Amino acid sequence: MNTLRLYLRSMGILLKSQLQYPLSFLLQTLAQLIMEGGEMLAVVLLVDRFDHLNQWSAGDLYFFFGLMSVTFYITECFGRGITGNFPSMVRTGQLDTLLIRPRGILTQVLCSAVDPRRITCIAVGTVSLILGSRMSRVDWTAANILLLAESIFCGFWLILGLFLIEAILCIHSVKSVEIANALTYGGRSACQYPVDAFPRSFRTLFTVIAPFALVMHVPASRILGKPIFGWPAWAAWISPLSGFVLFAVMVLLFAKAMRFYRSTGS
Amino acid sequence: MSFIHVQHLCKRFYVQKKRKNGALLREKETVEALKDVSFQIEKGELIGYIGPNGAGKSTTVKILSGILTPDSGEAEVGGKVPWKNRKEYVQHIGVVFGQRMQLWWDVPILDSYSLLKDIYRIPEATYQKRLSELAEALNLGDLLRTPLRQMSLGQRMRAELCGSLLHQPEMLFLDEPTIGLDAVSKLALRDFLKWENREHRTTILLTTHDMEDIAALCPRVMVLGHGRKLYDGSLQDLLRHYDRTRTVEIRYGGDESRPDLPESVQMLKEGDGFRIIYEPEKLPTAELLNLLQQAGPIREMTVQPQNIDHLIADMYREMGL
Repeated sequence: MNTLRLYLRSMGILLKSQLQYPLSFLLQTLAQLIMEGGEMLAVVLLVDRFDHLNQWSAGDLYFFFGLMSVTFYITECFGRGITGNFPSMVRTGQLDTLLIRPRGILTQVLCSAVDPRRITCIAVGTVSLILGSRMSRVDWTAANILLLAESIFCGFWLILGLFLIEAILCIHSVKSVEIANALTYGGRSACQYPVDAFPRSFRTLFTVIAPFALVMHVPASRILGKPIFGWPAWAAWISPLSGFVLFAVMVLLFAKAMRFYRSTGS
Repeated sequence: MSFIHVQHLCKRFYVQKKRKNGALLREKETVEALKDVSFQIEKGELIGYIGPNGAGKSTTVKILSGILTPDSGEAEVGGKVPWKNRKEYVQHIGVVFGQRMQLWWDVPILDSYSLLKDIYRIPEATYQKRLSELAEALNLGDLLRTPLRQMSLGQRMRAELCGSLLHQPEMLFLDEPTIGLDAVSKLALRDFLKWENREHRTTILLTTHDMEDIAALCPRVMVLGHGRKLYDGSLQDLLRHYDRTRTVEIRYGGDESRPDLPESVQMLKEGDGFRIIYEPEKLPTAELLNLLQQAGPIREMTVQPQNIDHLIADMYREMGL
């Protein structure tokens, strides 16, 4: 509980410091709106031209896009410590300053940054999610709401876990490794569309290695009433947990990698 | 047993060499940062740790503060092994890196301190008492609401020191704390360290290149070079061995005066006077004075000891560093 309190207090202080520059904050938040609005426009154009993708209607596509957008930017907002400057902390040896404090490394990293500018991206995602669920006439039963919440929650940990890969590689090579971005940003760009629109190799990648399909698409398709992969109802409840599993594995690998940490500079 | 107990500590790093033309893989080179270093430190000691760049000072500090794990050897600080149970261990130590800031950059330092209070789980009353004590000793009172980024280097270092001592550690490691500081800030920092060491019996180990730091603060000094401990003892004893010459600057009343000195003495004409470098061991000062007076009426004269940095440079040279 003490850890949660520390996180919330850190967030409060970081927010305060960001609001010290209100104009810059406002402009950057607007820039984010334009960026994510542009992403959504791609979906709008796609839907306008083709009106459906495989069995997915326009509303379904908005729903998938919205789900990814909301999840990814909630992660970027609250997990900024890990998704943002963690690899560079390893590279520059700034990690040393965390190692001399009596708290877990990942806790401290999570407490070190917040990115409230992403609020506009989350808003765009929310609009898309609502629009999609209206167009696809989603029945908002308690179960569906809960499933959506589970999907977003597990997606948060999945994305954090994927960003951890870069940090782990950094510890071993003390160098930025772009390959990890293929899974994080690449995963976001690809999986804002339903995964069965892609060839088999991509489907495997985003199901087995970076399980966006399990965490988001399986429950989403259940909510939309068109079960993906033809799996039974309970599978939609189990499969998002793979996000947790990935995060847990990455945390273990991270702890292992820390034994090889060499630090840099004097 | 001593408070700090280090035995046969070894650490090597693998550095990748530049790739040779045509070679596919880069060759690895082994750098032995620490080769069998041993020492004991008692509770409440204030110790200087010196050596040229790359001698292994920072590596030692990083191992003793639990950041790095040594390849072999033992170390215990206050009965605990630094690289085991990290979270438990670091509760009892403080570390200041002269070249690496630890407080939050954009927020008032008071906010940083209150987060540190949560991180170290310091009880509110203890925290308030300690903070006001440190703020007074470090003269931080007016700065508490200032963000770190708006501070001068000297102010920042004082703020960092306060942050690393809030939880009242028994042991404080300082890695080049006076680097880049102006004279006033340096003096204030030294006074503070003496105060903290005296008031709370905090054991302090500091690495530095500033010999004045050592002379002012540390009764005991350890010299490290190429990963080995080369000297461990008082600064005076260390210097006595190298501190052999004195410099005399002298001006005579009459222009024609020129002292006649033995060959062991070096004499240079400088402006309208002379600079004379002699070794009191070979030519006692009384005899030199006699010779100088015979040459004519002395108008003014100064005798200076050798610059401490030159002594250290001589020492490093002699030790083959």
